[in-house]
Amino acid sequence: MTTRVAIDCDDLIRACALGDRSALRALYELEASRMIGVAQRLLRRRALAEEAVQDAFVSIWHKASTFDAARGGGRTWVYAILRHRALNMLRGERRLEFSDAPIGEEQASEDDDPETIVTQLSDKAALRRCLQGLAADRRAAIVLAYVHGLSHSDLAIKLGMPLGTVKSWLRRSLISLRECMG
Amino acid sequence: MTDPVPTSEEERDARAAEYVLGLVEANDLPHLETMMETDVDFARRVGAWRQRLGALDETAAGGQAGDALWSRIETALGSSVAPTVSRVSAAPLRWMALWDSLPFWRGAGLSAAMAALLLAFGMGYFMHQANRQPVLVAVLMTDQNEAAAVVRAFADGRAELQTIKPIAIPPGRAVEIWTLWDRAIGPKSIGLIQNVSGKIDLRLDGLPRPTAGQLFEMTLEPATGSPIGRPTGPILNKGNAAVAL
Repeated sequence: MTTRVAIDCDDLIRACALGDRSALRALYELEASRMIGVAQRLLRRRALAEEAVQDAFVSIWHKASTFDAARGGGRTWVYAILRHRALNMLRGERRLEFSDAPIGEEQASEDDDPETIVTQLSDKAALRRCLQGLAADRRAAIVLAYVHGLSHSDLAIKLGMPLGTVKSWLRRSLISLRECMG
Repeated sequence: MTDPVPTSEEERDARAAEYVLGLVEANDLPHLETMMETDVDFARRVGAWRQRLGALDETAAGGQAGDALWSRIETALGSSVAPTVSRVSAAPLRWMALWDSLPFWRGAGLSAAMAALLLAFGMGYFMHQANRQPVLVAVLMTDQNEAAAVVRAFADGRAELQTIKPIAIPPGRAVEIWTLWDRAIGPKSIGLIQNVSGKIDLRLDGLPRPTAGQLFEMTLEPATGSPIGRPTGPILNKGNAAVAL
């Protein structure tokens, strides 16, 4: 994403903090479509994804005055709010509805494949280079957790590993990724 | 209970990554949410991980974001109280529009005369009220963005908390109220309640006078309060203080 958009996001959030409802609408025009996509990869169902995006925009409006650009860009802030909400819905709901069916097994499509997702990252992105430097199963586990919200136990089932092993194994993968990306 | 705070550098960082990935167990989550508020180093690590992994969000296919969803957002916002800070800061924008309005200035001349009259009568009343008006207000919101309680701080140093929404407290537990004005010092307990209803006075004596932006929050704790003097249980609601008009 270009720097220009990042700057726009910051400005729009600041305007929201001043009570400017049209800035929120502009932010919606700019990001809502992508946000629905991000939420739907986590929550699967379109209606739930829209609910998460709705809640996120309400939070953005109310929390806009707490946004501090020095602690990270506006775009990152917006997606952190969205992901936080979607993950809460995912974990809360799974306890009620999906306890037997790992989310990652449902409605798998080509676009959901972790390798496809990694190749969609920009060639120049350090994340792409560093993910590709990891073993394929480690790369897949990180992408599946982030993009599709797979939990430790989902990953354990998917990878056929004991839960405890998955936790430490994934942790080491994250440390390697961190070392590569700096 | 084992100490959930990771010690080594790498472990802290891995913990931050797990938080960003959404891999934190439900039991640990409230603790990490608190760390996000109180532990600057941890919050910085989380921020760095969000930055690192954010590119993955760009790969999501866009969904149609139509007017229907926007209408729902507007409805949700319309029925909720606008943040105090926003209302204060929004005023100058509206005033600028009025500045250019001729009908406004015509009316203003007449109104000013009336206002002077009213002011003369009103002054005495406001002087009386001044001591009872809060200087700071914090609306504590739940995760679902519902207003749960209001903290009011007065010029004479008193502060009180009024609950808006009933809070279910499991038996053997209590709700502890905290305030955070300096991350280096960390949150301080200012009240413990077993029974949430109505108004309670907060213990602010010995603490610096509350300032705008100061965080207030309620957590669920053991009946006698947090054993370590810091929040340990889930955050029920929180809010930042704003200057009251």
